[in-house]
Amino acid sequence: MWLPILGIIIGIVLGLVLPLQIPTNYASYMSIAVLAALDSVFGGIRASLEDNFQTDIFISGFFGNAFLAAGLAYIGDRLDVPIYLAAIFAFGIRLFQNFAALRRHFLIFLRKKFGNNLEK
Amino acid sequence: MKKSYAGQLAISLVSLILGLMLAAQFKNVQKVGGNVSRQRTQELTEHIKKLESDNESLSNQIKEYEDIIKSYENVSKDETLVNELAKSKSLAGLLPMEGPGVVVTVDNLYINSWDGGHQTVQNVHYDDLLRLVNELNAAGAEAIAINNERVIPTTEIRNAGDYIVINTNRHSVPFEIKAIGNSENLKAALNLLGGVVDNLSQILNIKVKTESNISIPAYEGTINYRYAEPVQDKKS
Repeated sequence: MWLPILGIIIGIVLGLVLPLQIPTNYASYMSIAVLAALDSVFGGIRASLEDNFQTDIFISGFFGNAFLAAGLAYIGDRLDVPIYLAAIFAFGIRLFQNFAALRRHFLIFLRKKFGNNLEK
Repeated sequence: MKKSYAGQLAISLVSLILGLMLAAQFKNVQKVGGNVSRQRTQELTEHIKKLESDNESLSNQIKEYEDIIKSYENVSKDETLVNELAKSKSLAGLLPMEGPGVVVTVDNLYINSWDGGHQTVQNVHYDDLLRLVNELNAAGAEAIAINNERVIPTTEIRNAGDYIVINTNRHSVPFEIKAIGNSENLKAALNLLGGVVDNLSQILNIKVKTESNISIPAYEGTINYRYAEPVQDKKS
């Protein structure tokens, strides 16, 4: 549970320290990719809590979603169709659903740990 | 909460990449400023409107003062004084002038790029204009204006971002330099083989044409000497 958070923190620190640069033209696609990646990680954590986590599905989902989202946004920009809105809605909704599931699992976990005195 | 070690590692690795992406995105937003919020846009629009109206009222004030000055001039009956004033003003660039001369247009040179679009060879640089003005002055130009900004001794021509600032006003391509003087001399001086236009026309689109009647506006700013004073004659 704590490893992913540690991973994110290390990643952020590395990213701030390393001279990473995205061309300004592609910044908007990067933001969509970040959203997709965020959704994937939440999904992965949820799946691991529900004990149906599969590494290959998770990895392919992470990169696949990120690239698909960024690619669709790019094509949408070329064709003047705001596809990025669809990506934002889809991933945004999933993000909240995943978070709700996480919260539920976490609370159930707490209840089990501290007995039933939290209920009612 | 029993999971495979590999799964934990995968999530961690992917989180690391996510962290990298977040940081890169964050830095990018910091650099570019991200999307400007609607409220901020409105604030700034209000600000611009206010400044514009301020600007307008100040311009009106200038006009009022100019009218006052004119009324003083009219009151003074001394003929030599009025003539002297007119002469000084025309020398200082405070009177609009007209006469024969040349008009030099300076624009970006466009070439067709490989993807069918237009590409500029090089943007017009302030020193390109300075060289032209310099050459015109050397050839005896009596009054020069760039995009209707009268060139006077204190006129600056300098880059400011994508613009070139002349007399504190921002200008961009195309530039039109008007010069009054002996039009043939001016044109010949500019078009010298190996001269300014010859050099610059490799990177810029420059056209020189003579005209029999050019009108050049007066300098519109104010000239104030705060530090410089004329030397007093020590006769005693």
